[in-house]
Amino acid sequence: MSIKEFITSIPVNKVGIKDILKFEKSPTNLLVAALTLLFLAFFVIGVGIYLVHGHHAYGVTRQHPWGLLIAVYIFFVVSSTGLCIVGSLGDVFGFKDYEMISKRAIFGSIVTILGGFAVIAFEIGHPVRMLIYNILSPGMRSAIWWMGTLYGIYLTFMIIEFIFLLKHDMKNARIFGLIGLLVGLAAHSNLGGVFGFLNSRTISNGVFYPTYFILTAFITGIYIAFIMMGFRYKLRFPDNAKVMLTNLALIQALLLAILMFFETWKMLTGIYGGMPGRADVAEHILTTWPFWAEVIFGMLIPFLVALLTKGKNHVMMFWASLIGMVGIFFMRYDLVHDTQLKPLQMMKTREYMLPPEWVHYFPSSTEMMISLGGLGIVVLLYYVGTKVFNLDADAH
Amino acid sequence: MARYGMALDYKNCINCKACEVACKEENGVLLGADKHRIWVGVKEVEGQWPNLDIVSNTFVPSQCQHCEDAPCQEVCPTHATYYDENHVVRVNSDKCILCSYCMNACPYDARYVDDRTMTVDKCTFCSDTRLARGETTTACQNTCPTKVRTFGDLDDPESEISILLKTRDHFSLKSHLGTNPKLFYLT
Ligand code: SF4
Ligand code: SF4
Repeated sequence: MSIKEFITSIPVNKVGIKDILKFEKSPTNLLVAALTLLFLAFFVIGVGIYLVHGHHAYGVTRQHPWGLLIAVYIFFVVSSTGLCIVGSLGDVFGFKDYEMISKRAIFGSIVTILGGFAVIAFEIGHPVRMLIYNILSPGMRSAIWWMGTLYGIYLTFMIIEFIFLLKHDMKNARIFGLIGLLVGLAAHSNLGGVFGFLNSRTISNGVFYPTYFILTAFITGIYIAFIMMGFRYKLRFPDNAKVMLTNLALIQALLLAILMFFETWKMLTGIYGGMPGRADVAEHILTTWPFWAEVIFGMLIPFLVALLTKGKNHVMMFWASLIGMVGIFFMRYDLVHDTQLKPLQMMKTREYMLPPEWVHYFPSSTEMMISLGGLGIVVLLYYVGTKVFNLDADAH
Repeated sequence: MARYGMALDYKNCINCKACEVACKEENGVLLGADKHRIWVGVKEVEGQWPNLDIVSNTFVPSQCQHCEDAPCQEVCPTHATYYDENHVVRVNSDKCILCSYCMNACPYDARYVDDRTMTVDKCTFCSDTRLARGETTTACQNTCPTKVRTFGDLDDPESEISILLKTRDHFSLKSHLGTNPKLFYLT
């Protein structure tokens, strides 16, 4: 089969702009549509401001060079890896109950990583130069090089897997899905390594982040699975979806328990012994509200909902997952901000200043607009995907 | 081919900041408090008069340590940060993508963004200016009124810096991180 034949034989729905604009005008749909348009407008405005003012439009500084956009990029790529894991349950590992979400999850993993790339393109100072020198003079000892390169490969495999899923070629989908999953996990743990390798930042240095990233990716994937299925079935789930969602909720409860256990020990080992640069930072983190937002929204509430309903109340799990995603956002923000909390220059270097204590950072409106814009892009692409492709499982 | 380093007799520093000014002037560093390649750190006197702890009051001039095992070089995804033939850690602004990883990885806060090129900049031991002109001093060293700084080739056993390091006790900053700095503080 020639490449042309292969491409033309991909099953897509013939839809025009009119079909895309057609949707049930329920209040929820209208709200989501309005928000998406608003966020897309934010993206255009934010990028415009960035193109004129460069990094001056951001709240980043010499002491805090990574800001909200890095956190949002991580948020999206974690979502992507998570959806890839959830999608692989059915189509790579062959668990029948999860096959119904494979196509949707894999498509979700493609759109979320594209959203991540859209955001990071305006954080990296020279994205085009990056593509060139990533190849011409690769820094093989750099976790960013591995992360970026592997994510590029991962995206390619995800797209190929998705095409095979559409064509219902399960054998090839499984092969490309497995490779994509492995590359994705490698890429994702390298993203944890970007932080874990930082000797200068004792609060982040070590094995914790590379492993925790995989765990939190799975958790994020399950949250988004609930959200996608909730929208797909308007919260009136058919029986086969119920079986899958109950299982996912129980897995989620287990994963959240493990995560809370990990976090507790990270904090305990951080504080114990009073090591300067680590213990003081860990204690400080405990006094910041985004940390508690992460714990309460991202872990506790969904955990309790899953546990108390034994995973059987899917509507509540849908809402808990939305809350969980808010918590996951704070989790990413905290990861980036807390790494940079402790100033590396501890002496006063100018008159009329106090010796540095904690590094302050607050995202600028431009950063917020581009970040929300990323969300707008993801929702738009996903919505268009639901029209163009059949994301439901094929009948056997 | 040399292996340049700098010894700082930091207790002689009087915090006049002439070195900061000379560096900006010589290397065309942008104005602005955060745009600096070198700095003088101040530890203020502790205690209440008349029980002042006068030894607590120190001035610590500093800059990029030109680490032998530089974390900034290791993390750079495009090899924009590199060791030049004189073992000076440099940034090739044509290759820098401004991912800012090096700014986070450098334990000494020695890097900042140059707004003209939108790339990362740092101390070069005056490689582009004075060394390129054939001089063997740096601007900060040349201007220092109390002769805090001694710049030279660590591989040349006869150089002033080599002799100083053999005869005077010294330490380097955050040496436990394994960066092997080439800035030495004489005690
Ligand atoms: S002091 Fe910082 S910028 Fe200089 S070589 Fe060492 S790690 Fe790199
Ligand atoms: S900001 Fe530039 S010099 Fe620093 S790590 Fe990134 S590419 Fe390398």
